[in-house]
Amino acid sequence: MKENTVRIICCAVALIMLSFITPTGAEEQYGIDYSTWEKYKSFYDDPSPYLTGELSWKKVIPPAIYDKLKSDPEEMKKVWAEVVGFKAPEVVGKIAPEIKPGKYSYADKEKQPFKQLMDEDTYNRFNPGQGPHAGNIPEIEVIPTKQYYYPLPIAKATKDNVGNVKQGTDGYLIDDSYVAGLPFPRPSGEFKAQQAVYNWEKKYLAGASYHLLQRGMGFSKDLKEDRVGTSTMWFLRLHGRAWLEPNGWYDERARKAGEKRMFSLLYLAPRDQYGNVLTNTMYLDPEHYDNFNVYVNVLRRVRRLSATDTQDAVGGMDVIYDDSETFSQKLSPKRYPYQYKIVAEREYLAVSPTVDGSWYMKKSDKSLQNMKYERRPQYVIELNQLDPNYVYSKRIIYQDKETLLNSSIYNYDQKGRLYRSAVMLYGFNPELGIIFTTGYFNRDHLDLHTSFFYHYALPATWISRDQVSLRSLRSVK
Amino acid sequence: MGKSGNLAVAAALAAVLMLSGSAAARQYTLGGRPIDVYGYITQGAGLSLHDDYYDTEDDINSAITNIFGEMNYSVSDNFKVYLSGILTVDWIYEMKHSDKSWRDREFNKSRDKLFVEDEYWQLLKEAHFTWNPGDFFFRVGKQIVAWGETDGFRLMDQINPLDQARGLADVEFETTIIPIWLIRAEYYPQLQVSWLQDMALQFIFNPNADFISDRRIRLGNDKAGIWAPNIEVSKNARLGSAIEHLDEPTEFDDEGYEYAVRLQAMAWDSLFSLNYFYGRENSPVEVSEGLPGTSEAGDGKTLLHLNYDGYYPLLRFLGGTFTRDIPVMNASFLGGVAPVLRLETFYAFDNTFATSDNKFEQSDEWRWAVGMDWKVRIKPLNEKYFFSISPQFYHRKIRDYPHAYDYSGVEDDNYLASLMISTSYYLNKITPSFFWLRDVNNRANMFKYQVIYDHTDYWRYTIGAMFFNGIEKTKGFDVFENKDYIYFKISYRWS
Repeated sequence: MKENTVRIICCAVALIMLSFITPTGAEEQYGIDYSTWEKYKSFYDDPSPYLTGELSWKKVIPPAIYDKLKSDPEEMKKVWAEVVGFKAPEVVGKIAPEIKPGKYSYADKEKQPFKQLMDEDTYNRFNPGQGPHAGNIPEIEVIPTKQYYYPLPIAKATKDNVGNVKQGTDGYLIDDSYVAGLPFPRPSGEFKAQQAVYNWEKKYLAGASYHLLQRGMGFSKDLKEDRVGTSTMWFLRLHGRAWLEPNGWYDERARKAGEKRMFSLLYLAPRDQYGNVLTNTMYLDPEHYDNFNVYVNVLRRVRRLSATDTQDAVGGMDVIYDDSETFSQKLSPKRYPYQYKIVAEREYLAVSPTVDGSWYMKKSDKSLQNMKYERRPQYVIELNQLDPNYVYSKRIIYQDKETLLNSSIYNYDQKGRLYRSAVMLYGFNPELGIIFTTGYFNRDHLDLHTSFFYHYALPATWISRDQVSLRSLRSVK
Repeated sequence: MGKSGNLAVAAALAAVLMLSGSAAARQYTLGGRPIDVYGYITQGAGLSLHDDYYDTEDDINSAITNIFGEMNYSVSDNFKVYLSGILTVDWIYEMKHSDKSWRDREFNKSRDKLFVEDEYWQLLKEAHFTWNPGDFFFRVGKQIVAWGETDGFRLMDQINPLDQARGLADVEFETTIIPIWLIRAEYYPQLQVSWLQDMALQFIFNPNADFISDRRIRLGNDKAGIWAPNIEVSKNARLGSAIEHLDEPTEFDDEGYEYAVRLQAMAWDSLFSLNYFYGRENSPVEVSEGLPGTSEAGDGKTLLHLNYDGYYPLLRFLGGTFTRDIPVMNASFLGGVAPVLRLETFYAFDNTFATSDNKFEQSDEWRWAVGMDWKVRIKPLNEKYFFSISPQFYHRKIRDYPHAYDYSGVEDDNYLASLMISTSYYLNKITPSFFWLRDVNNRANMFKYQVIYDHTDYWRYTIGAMFFNGIEKTKGFDVFENKDYIYFKISYRWS
């Protein structure tokens, strides 16, 4: 027994020592962990500009990699303006021109024509923090409209493929015709609305592959905390790559199988979910359902999830799988198809992508503070569901015409009542030309609940299939 | 209830109620590296729905507190240390310490085992190192390795023993599966094949550092407490606690070594595995030896105390699992969710059985189970959330079953079926569920009705009821027929 105990201790010591050896060829996994993020940005009442401070990408990404990812901002602006055909600052200012840059309180909203310049939801939230939903904005700062742009490789891929991406007679994208970039930088013609939705589907959030920390809280109608959601995610783009090498398909396997994207999500909270890991592989073919698996820590098993289970609410967080990132439903002519139309194309006062990350939530009334808004040219896209069995009858998407990213979505149930909505809070890195998420909030308008999330997204050159496949499922227990 | 019992329960409840929720999940740092700390505390209470039976205590018959803590420390990017522990106390032993009814039924005599779970392996749940270099994964220490696809039947899941000492009461996973000392190695080859999406090869070695067996539901109120089965052998006699002489492998003895190999793969959007296990059964086979002892029960009947000799025989099986969703079965009007099919089977070689004439014999056997998880929307009952419906069927076939006598506890064909239905209401906060387990051979049933209310992610309240019945006397759930009960539980989970 004594001899065996010594052997076990020796083995344990050897294992610990071996653990510090990084496998040959493995790329450095730069990034931050949750506790570091907490240190520099608390959940409540913290205006710290973490994106330009200690947690700025410039400090977190190794210099050699960061320099490689940089492009000349002026060049990026020029190319992107050619791609979309305009610069945002030049096409706005026509509606309610009397609203000038400056700080405004909710008390001003009746004095100035904010009702004209804001969409209905933003106008209603331009109020003191109060129930039934978190996320009101008592004060806003209107800043001059900026031009947003993408990294040169993405912009050039988009430009090179203009006119090459094809749609079928019903407007659905012909996958083989898409190579890389945003497929329809200037949506037009009969399928204009579908083109705008495809731009969202092929989006380059945080570049391509990225690491995401997420911390969230749920609030009841009296603004009391009732849910907590903390997780780490790894996203790997497998097709249409234009920024981080390899370009095009990630590998031969992705090409053969038509793999679009993989992600892995490790739950850190709530406690009952701690150690659960989701992995998902999405395919280009809308009729090829996702490969969706979960490691259930309480069972210590990998369980296969039904990839078609996309309409049931996820963990009390006011969201269904099809609502991920505002809208992630497969665009299919067979399974819950839509009729698409653009119902408005105009400027709105929309949340400005933060550069410094100084916006925050105030604990006492769950309002958002340090919120900057700017006039943005937007599409309002209406998706009318053709199958009455789907959870929603209609979805209204607000999409920025320059970034081609959704800023908010409003989903109506089959009785025509506003059911759930989501508002994205983006960030922007001007040196890299990268737009990423810094947070979002979902609301349930029927049961009166809000889920609010902060994000720390980081372009990650080191993410490979290792982080998003079966091996990633056994990370904790 | 004794005064000290009142105080103990009050203290436990006060501890639960004084906790307050942290606003956000906490991850700490130690030596510049992240360390996650989590836990929960629960206080339950069980109330009998029957009285005046010898095997059942009137009114409140359990008051279990669980205090669970866990921590995961990332020493480096690919090396982690995980520790978890639990303290389980059933305050009923304090509350009813002086209660005549409790003592007359000899429940007080089970206090040694069931009041406080204080064995080291009960207090220390898991303790392991995980090293994850490149395509390899190593985990060494006290851990759980779960195989299989079915829920509850534990067909392929034979590596870790099971703790059923508290019967079929509402249990936490952390109190049910017993972690044991194992060495686990896995290899994940890099694949570039479009149809084979993922693959993992797993090897488990149990060095038998400490032989820990199943904690079974024992005979006799003095051993098993309120969950002692009621087995009446005649009008005036029932089985009391047994005297067991069990031969178990000594620590690090190679007779207790266990080996397990699994190849798991994801191919054509299906998850399947091939499994091989060579080791020991976690429960013993026993034959009765000599004449039983007797004693007198509180109700005047005779208690027979059987003498058993037994050991933990070899278990060798080859099996496999398969799971995938079935898109053709999705129906738009039901919410469009394709059900997930789960299959699991193994063939065991030369399993050992105790015979009805008190001998040990060996036979091969085949076990298989099939289950399905189907989420459907039933709008008239729940407009917003889906129903989860999970039926399962299990078959255990004993090969070359003898004709002249029986194997104890099994027939040549043994069937079980189960059905689980659950849904959610109001922001996923209210979760009613129904579970039915049918012992087909013994025409016996177990029903469980439960409602969970998650006030927040910190506070949870549970209420439920369990009912048992059986047609075949002294078999299946018939032995628990007097144990129908309702239970309540309050949980605080911190993160």
